[in-house]
Amino acid sequence: MSTVAIVFMKEMLDNLRDRRSIAMAMIYPLIGPILLGLMITFVAGSLKVVPGRGVEILAVGADNAPDFERYLRAHGATLKPAPDDTADAVRNGAVPFVLILPKKQASPVDPIEVRLLIDASRLTSVVPIAQMMDLLHGYEREETAARLKALGVAPDVMVPLHIQQENVGRTMSLGATFLNMMPPFIIFTLFLGGIYLTLDTTSGERERGSFEPLMINPVSRSEVLTGKFCAAIVFTLWAFTVQMFSFWIMTRLVPRESLGLITLPGAARLALLLPVCLPLAFFAVAAQLVIASMTRSLKEAQTYMGLLPLVPAIAAMLLSFAPVELHSVLAAIPTFGQTVLMGQVVRGEAMSWSMISIAAFATLAVSMLLLALAFRLYEREQILFPH
Amino acid sequence: MIEVHDLHKSFGGIHAVRGVSFVARDGEITGIIGPNGAGKTTILRLIYTVLAPDGGYTLVDGIDPHLDRRGVQRRIGVLPDVRGLYPRLTGREHIRYFGALHGMRGDALEARIDELIHTLNMEDFADRRTRGFSRGQQMKVALARALVHEPHNVLFDEPTNGLDVATSRAVRELMRGFRAEGRCVLLSSHIMHEVAALADRIVIVARGRIALQGTAEELRRATGLVDLEEIFMSATSARFEEPELLAGED
Repeated sequence: MSTVAIVFMKEMLDNLRDRRSIAMAMIYPLIGPILLGLMITFVAGSLKVVPGRGVEILAVGADNAPDFERYLRAHGATLKPAPDDTADAVRNGAVPFVLILPKKQASPVDPIEVRLLIDASRLTSVVPIAQMMDLLHGYEREETAARLKALGVAPDVMVPLHIQQENVGRTMSLGATFLNMMPPFIIFTLFLGGIYLTLDTTSGERERGSFEPLMINPVSRSEVLTGKFCAAIVFTLWAFTVQMFSFWIMTRLVPRESLGLITLPGAARLALLLPVCLPLAFFAVAAQLVIASMTRSLKEAQTYMGLLPLVPAIAAMLLSFAPVELHSVLAAIPTFGQTVLMGQVVRGEAMSWSMISIAAFATLAVSMLLLALAFRLYEREQILFPH
Repeated sequence: MIEVHDLHKSFGGIHAVRGVSFVARDGEITGIIGPNGAGKTTILRLIYTVLAPDGGYTLVDGIDPHLDRRGVQRRIGVLPDVRGLYPRLTGREHIRYFGALHGMRGDALEARIDELIHTLNMEDFADRRTRGFSRGQQMKVALARALVHEPHNVLFDEPTNGLDVATSRAVRELMRGFRAEGRCVLLSSHIMHEVAALADRIVIVARGRIALQGTAEELRRATGLVDLEEIFMSATSARFEEPELLAGED
C-alpha cells in the first residue's frame, strides 16, 4: 500500500467518525431537493385548474347588470354575495378577488362598469383571476357582437386580430425557473460536501499539532496531500450522489398533476450530471487545499472555503434569468462551462459531448494548477506548526 | 549517533539558532537544557528534518538529511512537544498509522503494536479514542507511534511536561532502557534536575547558542560550581553569552 493510500484510508476512517463531516455529506445535500420538491408541490397545487368546477365569484351589485349575471351563471360560475370589507378580504387572502358592479345600466347599450379587486402578489389567486378575466372578455365579445348585429354590422369587423399563443418551449416558463434552481444547489453541494474533511485534514491537522509528527515519518508532503485530496474527493462525490438520489426521489414524490407543469429530469438525466460535475468537484477540493495552505487558522480557512461556491453559484443564478447559448469559448471558462451545462442537463436540452469535454478539460487544467500551487505552498516550513 | 555542526536558523529576522555544535553518542543520553525560548525545540526540529538549516548541518548515523531525508527519518523516533493526536482515532490506530507510513505491514506490525502497548502499559486505554485522554495517556500514544519502527535514535522534546510523578518516572526508565540497548537518546528539557538525573552529557543552550556542554563533572570543573542548578543559572546568564569562553570541547 502506498503512502497516498495509507493517508487516504486514515482520513476516511477518521472522518467517517466525525459527525460534522457526515452531516455535511449526508444531510446538507438534501436541502436542495426537499426545498425544490416543496415549492413545486405548493406552486403546482396553487395553479391547478380543477376540471368541471366553475369559478366562484364574490360579487357586489350583481343585479346592476342582469344580462351579465345571466351570462356568468350560464358559463358555470356561481355568484355569491361579497363580504362587507371587500378590500381587506382580498388583501388577507380570504377570497381571490371581488367583482364590483357599482352602477345600474340606464339602458342596455350603456357600458357596464366593472371593478375587479385583486392582490397581485398572491400566487394562489392567479388561476381564479385568469378565469374571471376569461369570463369578462367572453361576455365583452358576445355583447359587442350582439350590439354590432343590432346596428347591422358584421361582428368580425371589430375583431381585426385573431391571436393564438403557442408555447413550443420544453417547459412552461414557471417550471423552467424551478429547474434553473437546481444548478446552484448542485454547486453548493460540490463545494461544501467535502469541506469538513478538507478543513479537518489540513487546517485542523495543523491546528491540533499533528501535522509535525506526521511529517517526521519518511513520507513526502505531496504524497500526504494527495491522500487527503482523494479522501476529500470521495466525500464530495458522496454528497453529490446523495443529492442526485434525493433529486430523483423528489421527482417521484411530487404529485402527478404537478408534473404536467414541467418535465423533471429522470434518472438518466441526473446520471449525466456526473461527467459534467466531476471536474467541478476536483476544482472545489483543489481550491480548498490552496485556501487551507494560505490561511493561518481553521476558522479563517472555514470562512473563505464557505465563500468559495458563491462565485459559480452566482453565475448559475444569473444564468437562470438570462440563459446563454453555449459555445466552445464559453465552455472553456473554468467552472462556467459546467454551470451552463448543468442547466442544459436539468432542462432536458440536447447535450454535446464535445462541449462537456471542453468544459471538463478547462476546469481540470485549472484544478491541476491549483493543486500544484497547494503542493508548493505546503512545502513551506511554517505550515507544519500551529500558528 | 547525532552530529550537529555550526547550525544556524533564522525566522523572519530573528536569529533563533546561532552556530550550535554538539554530538549525541550511541549508548548515551544527551540532555539539551535551556530556558524557554532558548532554541531547544528549533534545534530538535532541525535534527528531525522538519526545518532546514540556514547554515551548518546535522548528521544522523552519518546521514545528511539534505541528501537522504527519508534515510534520516527511518532512523529517528521523535516525541514532539505538542503531542498532536487525532481525537477520533484509538491509541492502537495511531500506532498502526505511523507503522504503516514506515512501510510496516500485517502481522509484524500488529505484533509490534502489541509489544509497545505492553511495554508502555497502555492495555487499559489503547483501544479507546484519544479524545479526553489524560496527558500521560496522550504522551504514551505519541511515544508509542514514534517508536513503532524501532528507531536507533530517539528524540524527546519536554517528555515529562505535565506528567504525574509515576508517569515521569516510567519515561525516565524507558530512556535509561534505550541507553542500555545502545541507542542514541537526545532529551530536551527546561528542568535541570531531570537532565542532571538522566543525561550522560549536558548541553546548555541560551539565546540560540551553546553556553556550556560536557559531562556533569566537566561542567563543575569549568564553572567552579558544584550544584548543577547553580551552573545552569550562571551559564544562562548574560555573562556566558560568548560560547567560546566555556564551551567544553570533548
